[in-house]
Amino acid sequence: MKINRSVLLKPLINVTGIVERRHTLPILSNLLLEANNNKIQLTATDLEMQISLSIDSHTQEALTTTISAKKFLDICRALPEDSEIDLVSKDSRMTVKAGKSRFNLQTLPAADYPVMTKVNGDSVLIQLPQIELKRLLKQVEFAMAQQDIRYYLNGLLLEVDGNKLNLVGTDGHRLSFTSATLNQSYEKNNVILPRKTVIELIKLLEDNDEEVTIEIAAGQVNFAFGEMRLISKVIDGKFPDYNRVIPTAHSNTFTVNRMAILTAMQRASILSNEKYRGIRMVLSHNNIKLISTNTEQEEAEEELEITYAQESLDIGFNVTYLIDVLNNTQQENINFSFADANSSCLITLPEDDDYKYVVMPMRI
Amino acid sequence: MTKQRKIIHVDMDAFFASVEQRDQPAYQGKPLIVGGQPNSRGVVAACSYEARKFGIHSAMPCSRAYRLCPQAIFVPPRFEAYRAVSNQIREIFWQYASQVEPLSLDEAYLDVTYTADYEGSATLIAQAIKRDILAKTQLHASAGVSYNKFLAKIASDLDKPNGLYVIRPEQGLHFVADFPIGKFHGVGPATEAKMQKLGIKTGADLRKKTLLELVERFGKSGQYYYNIARAIDERPVRSKRVRKSLGKETTFAEDILSTELLTEQLNALAEPILNMLAEQAIRAKTMTVKVKYADFRQVTRAQSVDAALDKRAVKQWIPLLLNRTEAGRKPIRLVGLSFSGLEVANQQRVHPEFDF
Repeated sequence: MKINRSVLLKPLINVTGIVERRHTLPILSNLLLEANNNKIQLTATDLEMQISLSIDSHTQEALTTTISAKKFLDICRALPEDSEIDLVSKDSRMTVKAGKSRFNLQTLPAADYPVMTKVNGDSVLIQLPQIELKRLLKQVEFAMAQQDIRYYLNGLLLEVDGNKLNLVGTDGHRLSFTSATLNQSYEKNNVILPRKTVIELIKLLEDNDEEVTIEIAAGQVNFAFGEMRLISKVIDGKFPDYNRVIPTAHSNTFTVNRMAILTAMQRASILSNEKYRGIRMVLSHNNIKLISTNTEQEEAEEELEITYAQESLDIGFNVTYLIDVLNNTQQENINFSFADANSSCLITLPEDDDYKYVVMPMRI
Repeated sequence: MTKQRKIIHVDMDAFFASVEQRDQPAYQGKPLIVGGQPNSRGVVAACSYEARKFGIHSAMPCSRAYRLCPQAIFVPPRFEAYRAVSNQIREIFWQYASQVEPLSLDEAYLDVTYTADYEGSATLIAQAIKRDILAKTQLHASAGVSYNKFLAKIASDLDKPNGLYVIRPEQGLHFVADFPIGKFHGVGPATEAKMQKLGIKTGADLRKKTLLELVERFGKSGQYYYNIARAIDERPVRSKRVRKSLGKETTFAEDILSTELLTEQLNALAEPILNMLAEQAIRAKTMTVKVKYADFRQVTRAQSVDAALDKRAVKQWIPLLLNRTEAGRKPIRLVGLSFSGLEVANQQRVHPEFDF
């Protein structure tokens, strides 16, 4: 079977991304390669999620086998651009030939490959442009927990409610919420997407208006876009009620240029305690001060002019949580609102009503 | 140049066994083994000098010790008694040293650089300490005196039992040169094998290697090996050692296959360690489960978390970590649990969480 390197390489990189270096089954380091009827299909899985991708080819030859994803990718990467690659599978070997190069790879039987199949039964179908889904995911992805014992926080809530699609990520200290309007109404339904699925999706989604179809089924979510098919298990658990955490409105509020406060925080964070990353926000009449101190008693102070005529306030935060939200939003201005020094802070975007970020203060 | 340091390493002779012989005159002059029973799977925790003549040493399986010396007396350890003696000797140490760093119940480094007694003679101070220990506990100790911890430790071993050995500054290099590599503190059997492969048999051989070679080969420890080959050891005697990890393990009377039972055992180990951490307001971020299979192969599985590990988290992680071993499929003879990534909890800086 012949295929051009330029046609094969990108799809190969895309599916190989989920192959784990450490795994329980040897075949999980392999890629399932299936060719027939002018199509080549590549599949990779880690048992939690699976990506398959089909490529047009001009070959009728059939070939079905599994080979080491990493080695096959390394070989294709290293071959000269525009090489014609010839794949021949025989016995328990596959030969990769291109020009004067020749590689003989071990294979494992395709029949043993743990292919994930779509579950039958009721499912919900949602469609939206790829670029839109990518934007939504990026707005909340950074707030997900990592390796938290509350396993349901190590993922992202995907919820349909009426004509709204809501996405929520939280690690217990901060919460990121975003929402989009769908062109159709649905019954309330939600799933928790595993962290890895979310991160892979962001990598794979393209910045274009082509639709992605999300299919929420029992214990599974499928994503179809372009030639890509992604099947992911969902986290079995109950996501906390995010509505209880998002405050409705606080009286002490100001709006500030996002880049101005981001760069000020980045500078102030240089001298914040490496472990706790604490920063003090001191609000007074038309002024905000950002103050940090580290264990060596070094100190940084940043000042910004704002329009503010409400209560004076001295409140501490983990600066990482603030820098995260400032980095992961695109809008020009950002709004902060506070109740008092012990209550959570609500961050919103004047140009995007659908976005909300809540962060708990910290005692400094 | 800084003042030449004076360090003493004090090590009690056959500590557990000597305490037993002191308290039970019937044991005196007899081969005595403190540890497990001869038919058990325990190991020798300590043995008297009479027992050592039969080739018995600590950490040897009791069954083996029994074969070497069937007439030996086997007694279980009485840690309260040893701890009491340990407190007595530490009190004596503090009378003479400005810094005392205990290594275990019966062993400590002492910094006597600034001690004025006996006109500052470390040798005389060591003698006085030995004398005080004998008077107070009727037990013998061996002491090593030198200008750093590494040499002091070597010295205390050279004249055992009831010994006193001094390595003077001008003798340090010479001592290290002839010293077999496996006897260096910090060179275990695995490192020793690696060193032998590189043709390093003695301190003199080690000294021929460049710092770069050693660091490339042994990582961080390379610097330490480079220094000790030159009899350089600048580690201070620290009164309060910062703990890096805290753990416990247990060997079963019979191998266990059931994961439920193993989980139970690990939970039981966790309880006292977590209490200890809580008492000292220490937070742990990493927990490690150790499993030794019936064939003595052993694996560890660790999990790190962002927030500190609490009782609930530990309870939930134990089965998950166990799951990453061959528990349930292979019989297991020992499990252990340890906590690391320790830091002193700062009450004022706890980051509040949402009340979901």
